[in-house]
Amino acid sequence: MRGAALSKYTQPVSSIVVEDLAKTFVKRRSLRESLLHPFGKAERVTALDGVNLQVEAGEIFGLLGPNGAGKTTLLKILSCLIIQDRGAATVAGHSTRTQEMRVRSSIGFVTSDERSFYWRLSGRENLHFFARLCNIAPAAMRARCQALLDALELSDKADHAFMGYSSGMKQRMAVARALLHDPPVLYMDEPTRSLDPVAARHLRELIAGTLNRRQGKTILLATHNLAEAEELCGRIAILHRARVRRMGTLAEVRRWALSRERYLIEVTQADGFAPYKFAGGTVEADGAGILRAELERGGEALTHLLGALLARGARIVSCTRQEASLQEIFDLAVGEAGP
Amino acid sequence: MIRKAWGFLVRDFLIEVSYKSHFVMQFFGVVFSVGIWFFFAAFLQDHLSEASGVLTGGHLFAFILFGVAPYHYQQVSLSTFAHRFREEQVTGTLEAMLVCPTRTPLVIFGSALYDFMFTSFRIVLYIVVGIAFSHFTSRPIQIHAAGLPAALIIFTLLVTTSVSIGVMAAAFVMYFKKGDVLVTLISSASALLGGVFFPTSALPGVIQPLSRLLPISYTTDGVRRALLAGETVGGLRAEIQALLLFAVVLLPVGLMVFRMALRGARRDGTLVQF
Repeated sequence: MRGAALSKYTQPVSSIVVEDLAKTFVKRRSLRESLLHPFGKAERVTALDGVNLQVEAGEIFGLLGPNGAGKTTLLKILSCLIIQDRGAATVAGHSTRTQEMRVRSSIGFVTSDERSFYWRLSGRENLHFFARLCNIAPAAMRARCQALLDALELSDKADHAFMGYSSGMKQRMAVARALLHDPPVLYMDEPTRSLDPVAARHLRELIAGTLNRRQGKTILLATHNLAEAEELCGRIAILHRARVRRMGTLAEVRRWALSRERYLIEVTQADGFAPYKFAGGTVEADGAGILRAELERGGEALTHLLGALLARGARIVSCTRQEASLQEIFDLAVGEAGP
Repeated sequence: MIRKAWGFLVRDFLIEVSYKSHFVMQFFGVVFSVGIWFFFAAFLQDHLSEASGVLTGGHLFAFILFGVAPYHYQQVSLSTFAHRFREEQVTGTLEAMLVCPTRTPLVIFGSALYDFMFTSFRIVLYIVVGIAFSHFTSRPIQIHAAGLPAALIIFTLLVTTSVSIGVMAAAFVMYFKKGDVLVTLISSASALLGGVFFPTSALPGVIQPLSRLLPISYTTDGVRRALLAGETVGGLRAEIQALLLFAVVLLPVGLMVFRMALRGARRDGTLVQF
């Protein structure tokens, strides 16, 4: 995407600040329930409970969590579609509670819902309609839409009915629509959900390369796709059962997830060495010259282990530290909160 | 705001014409409807010498034509907001519009704009085709230009009151996900009691006062007297005052209910649910 020229936004000043955000939904009772139990209490579902997070200007922030964790509720509050019960949220310095229009002028929402377009209109007609809603002057509208269609490689089919577009094209249309008014903040809700691997890769390149690095957009990415979050996000928050369970850079979250460091050591002539236990950790062997060590942090345990191996006449071919995968971190964070 | 309103009109026109046969058939539908009323009225007119005194202008076809026209407009005003809101909810486009920097009321009014424009056009067509049909008879319909300002005022007041109720229906859809009960009740009562197809004097005496509770009664009566008998604003003061009262009461109530529903739906998180 030749996107740098599309954005007027070169000095990012935006960020998202969420403080002690809480939202509980009251499930409406059916007529039958109301008649059978007139004094019964309506069921309450806590979607968010004291959520705090801050997204710095120009970063890609991942919002991870299982279904029902509260991700969509958070995005909807940040889009002014839902009013919170408690707490505050600001987007690009504007309050979601009192500055609705300013917040909406500052955001673009990329949804994976293909039905959010008018299927009988062409891609261009769809963009023209939404451009008007985004306060783009008629004189600039056509040029802006054409530029986005070109940039997202949709020009060839721009005048075809939206209903005939492929999933990849529909998703690129969603990105084009979100960029119409060149907002500094983008929300992306499962943007690659319905895409094939190639289209998903192209979209990830677009997000990281053009939108984030070149245009400096702040991106809040809600996803189930942990590999995607790992590839794109500088920081993540794991949301589960209405609360943020862990938040930080991937390195910070990994440090939390693993109290011990993991090493994969390839050796020769160390028969009978493992299993090996010592104060600094444990070592297991797979019988093919590969040792798996779990060691205390700090490096002393590794020094001790390597010394012990050398003392037994082993030759060390390689030693690699293994990172915790995001899946492990996610499982741990979600498991910690209980089922 | 005008640019956005234009955007809604263009969008809905393009969607409408994309269903080509449906779009064309609507115009034939107008001709067929007018034809049905024309022959129905022609058949009955000869047997109505006694009753023609209670028909404004003494012309059954004109009576029906100028009863159905405001009734259609009322129908659209009552139902289009709730219908369009619901449609956008169900098709999934509502959320996409609501995250744009455009106020929710404008989204809802804008979505209904095409229906108003098209209904206006259809009503003009009804009247033009109706007058053309009447020229094949010995008693062509004569429109009295002197009554045009009064008819226009009455029509505007009917639209204002109906829109107020329509906005309430949209508020019901927004909050309770159903709003057609209110619309169905008022529509049915208007058709039966509002003097649309027959004079209210044909109703049983005990029911007749109920017709005075409906804005459409004042409208059908007023529009006919203005256009078919040439009565001016002065002569239709009572009808205009009654409609003005409906508008003054219903408009703020409608807007207040809408605002409450919007806030409630945002609070409950059900704005885009259906």
